[in-house]
Order: sequence, then C-alpha cells, then structure tokens
Amino acid sequence: MLNEANLGLIFLSAFIVNNILLIRFLGLCSFFGISTQIKASLGMGIAVIFVTVMACSISWIVYYHLLLPFHLEYLRTVAFILTIASFVQFEEIIIKKKLPALYKAFGIYLPLITTNCAILASAFLGIDYKLSFIQNLIFSIGISSGYCLVIVLFAGIREEIEFSPIPENFRGVPIAFITAGLMSLAFLGFKGLFKL
Amino acid sequence: MKKKEVAGGIIVLFLITGISGYLLAQVYKVTKPKIEEQKRIEEEKINKEIFPDGVKFEEKCKDNISYVSVYNSDGEEIGKIFKVKTLGYGGYILLKVGVDKNFRIKGVKIIHHSETPGLGSKITSEKFLSQFEGKTIDEIYLKKDNPEGKIDAITGATISSRAVVDGIRKFLKKVKK
Amino acid sequence: MKKLIDFKNFINPIWRENPVFYLMLGLCPLLAVSGSVRDSLGMGIAVIFVLVGSNFTVSVIRKFVPSHVRIPVFIVVIATFVTIADYSIAAFSPEIHRNLGVYLPLIVVNCIILGRAEAFASKNNILNSILDALGTGIGFTIAILLIAIIREALGNGTIFGNPVFGTGYTPFLIMIMPPGAFLVIGFLIAIKQGMTRRRKC
Repeated sequence: MLNEANLGLIFLSAFIVNNILLIRFLGLCSFFGISTQIKASLGMGIAVIFVTVMACSISWIVYYHLLLPFHLEYLRTVAFILTIASFVQFEEIIIKKKLPALYKAFGIYLPLITTNCAILASAFLGIDYKLSFIQNLIFSIGISSGYCLVIVLFAGIREEIEFSPIPENFRGVPIAFITAGLMSLAFLGFKGLFKL
Repeated sequence: MKKKEVAGGIIVLFLITGISGYLLAQVYKVTKPKIEEQKRIEEEKINKEIFPDGVKFEEKCKDNISYVSVYNSDGEEIGKIFKVKTLGYGGYILLKVGVDKNFRIKGVKIIHHSETPGLGSKITSEKFLSQFEGKTIDEIYLKKDNPEGKIDAITGATISSRAVVDGIRKFLKKVKK
Repeated sequence: MKKLIDFKNFINPIWRENPVFYLMLGLCPLLAVSGSVRDSLGMGIAVIFVLVGSNFTVSVIRKFVPSHVRIPVFIVVIATFVTIADYSIAAFSPEIHRNLGVYLPLIVVNCIILGRAEAFASKNNILNSILDALGTGIGFTIAILLIAIIREALGNGTIFGNPVFGTGYTPFLIMIMPPGAFLVIGFLIAIKQGMTRRRKC
C-alpha cells in the first residue's frame, strides 16, 4: 500500500512510475494546449507545482480537520474545488503583479489551472490512498514535478516536430497525440521498477 | 469595484453554496443506505461463490483480524473467509480467500487490482484461481519458486502471480498461528 | 433574433463541433476510462447528466449572478451535480463506480462542462441550454464509445466483455494500456482532419 511505503518511494511512484500525464491521463487539456513552447511549458509546470503542493496540503487539512469531524464527507468535491479555485485566483494576482511577461505567456491557461484535473486529482488521490500529511505533501510534490518534467520534455519534442515533414492529415494535434503515446510507452517501462 | 457589488457577490455565492450543501445532504441521506446495501449484496455474492453450500455468513473479529464465519444449513461452522491485501506489479491487490476447518483452501476471488491489463489482470481468470482449490498452506507456492508448490504462474505475469500466491500463504500462516 | 428553441444547438456539437474531436476538451476521462466499453458508457451517461443539470441551473440563475463571482458559482453548481452523479452511480452499480474511480469526481474539472456553462448557458434561455447540453453530452459519449470500442476490440478482443474476433485472436495488448489511448485518439483526429480538409477543397 502506498501509505505504508517510505517517502522516497512515494515520490518516485508519483513522479515517474504513475506519471500523472502519461499513465494516469490527467491534466491533458493544458498539456496539449500549452506545450508548443518550452518556455511557456516550464512556466506552466512551475505554476502547477506551486498550486498543487499548496492546494493539496490545504485540502488535506480541510478534509481531515473540517469535513470528517462533522461528517460532511459528501461536501468533499465542492470543498476541494473551491479551495483550488481561490488559490489559483491568488496565484494569478501575484504573477500578474510580479511577472507580467510570464503572465502574457500563460495566456488563457492560468485561469484554466482551476480546471486542471491534475491538481484536483492529486488532492483526491492523497485522500483515497489514506496518506498522512507529510506523505501527502511528498506525493503532491512528486505528481506536480512529474507534470512539469513531462510537459517540458514534450514541448521540446513538439518544437522539433514543427520543422519535420509530417503527412498533412497528422499536422498539429494528431501528431502530438502520437508523440504522447510513444512517450507513454517509454514511461510504461518504469512500471514495476519500484514495487509498491 | 463598489462595496455594494462585492457584498452582492458574496451573498449570491454564499446562498448557492448553502443550497448546494443542503441538496447534497439530502442526496447523501437517500443514497447512503442503498450504497451500503449494494456493498452487502456484492460481499454476499462473493462469499456465496467461495462457499456455495454456506447458508449463514457472520462477520467476526479476532486478534485485530476481521473475517467471515461460514455456517451450513445444520448450523455447523464449515469455514472462514479472509480478506487479503498484497502488493502486485501495478499496485495493491485485494482478494478474498476462503478456507475450510483444516485450513485447506476453498476458493480465491480477486476483489480489486491494478495490474497491467491483458497480462497481470489474468489473475482474475478462473484458470489461475481454480488452481488454489483444495490446496494446503504449504502447497501454495509457485512451481518455479518451490518444489512443493502446486500453482502455475501466468505466462508473462510472474510478479502478479507471485504476489497473489505469497500474499495468501503469508497471511494464512500468520492467521493459523 | 434568437429563437426560443433552436435545434442547431443540439445537432452542431454532436458532429461538426464535437467537443472532443473539434474543440479538444474533456480529454482526461476520455483517455482514462476508454479501455472498456461498459465503463465508457457509464462515464458518458454521468457527463450527460452533469451537463444537463449544470446548464439548466446556470441558465435559470444567470440573471441573478453578478459577473465577478460567476465562475465560482458555476463551479459549485457543477460540483453539486457531480457529487449527485457520484453517489447515484455508487448506489446503482458499485462495480462501475470502482472502475471509474477518481475519474468520476473529476468530471468537476472536465473543461467541457464549465466551458458550456460559461460560453452558452450563461447567455441563453433554458430550453436552448438544455438542448446544447444534450448535444454536447451525446457528442462526448459518441466520441468516448468510439474510442472504447476500438480499444477494447483490438486490445482485448471483446466488446462489452463479449468476444468479437473468435478464439484465435491474439489481443493487441498495447491498445488497452495507456499508450494505446493516445495512439487511437491521434489517428481518429487525423481522420477527422482529413475529412474536413477534403470537404474544403
């Protein structure tokens, strides 16, 4: 069980073995939307790391210290999504003020972090796996770093694809999916590397 | 933004959340007994599959291990069913194992697993699980791991097979003590 | 002038502006549960239910909601319907509920639903909003079923668990593993692009 494993294994499992993008298929909208440039992808990746780690920790506290004691488990979905939405707003304000260039690069994708399933999923998974607070923290760092790593790698490949001769019907999105499929195949090789 | 607008926004958001919370509480009240009923039916179905001649199934707990005692139509205890958790290739495998009074295996059913589809997922197949029937604890080894073993591993899914076999054996050994 | 009921709202999203193949929205559940036709059908029905519920509610309340809090309000509405769907499926079929797992509550962040609420339901009347929700939901369901049929048939040799290729078929395993999802959808979009391109010429 994940909650009996040590912290290093939890991190690696979330980071590459069960990669959030390629194995669990979460956060794909922004993945395909923004990964045309390495710079924007890196920015998005870092934003996701920040939001995921904070939002997961807050959600964990909300769940175990607010919802469970009052038997309000059925409000889990509503409570988590509100936590994340308000957190994204907060981050948006900061980036807009401090890093206007980055804000321009994100375009419409920053508000879309709210509907980035990777973040809500990490919060849910942490609860589903019955992780402790510290484990949950490491887990969320692992998941979001995995997101960041893959989106940057993928953007690198896509930048090259732009200049390659591809059958016309596959231009754009289709070839991106096939590339992602091949990357997913490579990541599948990590499965079974760590026994969890 | 005017103060009035902010206050209006807050009130609307508050109202909507309140209505949503109330609605969900009602839905929860209605569905909860049904969800539990479904769970019970499912449990019973699996128990019945392991012990077709069992009539009464009673949940018990001893030494921090919960199990189900199975009684036949004469009210006699004919066996026990345990829940076993074990680590497979893709995550943990949850299964139920039924044993008779002499700790011979009556049947094994996989409840949940996340093994590779098409390979490790074959641990749920009848062909693999039926091998366990009638075996004693010391016979539950993979043939390739131990000369005493009587279980064939699934081709291409040794780790998943071993996880099931070792998980059951270690658990039963612990319980028997 | 806007019509009271316009059936274009229903027809358009099913094929021409299909939420999946045209707008590239709602990809996560699409890829994650499309390994089995049964689970996909469950997911499709859940999405239709949530879409209709949220589009209807958003359309009803659109006049009372100040624009600066509309997104959080919409999200709460959607989350409510998702939780209802979550518990109903658990009460109806624990097996499908377990297979859909975390992807069921995650319908909340399915961009299709918030997208339709924001782009359509918040600006249109109730009837049109419901039509739009039905069309979009059916478009999504068709897409996910199509992918699931291809993946389950090739990868497992079955549809709804029934063998389709006879016993001699060796499953093309990669199709039901994660990479297969990406490959199938890549090829499907390529086909759709090809068809659209030819029509333009």
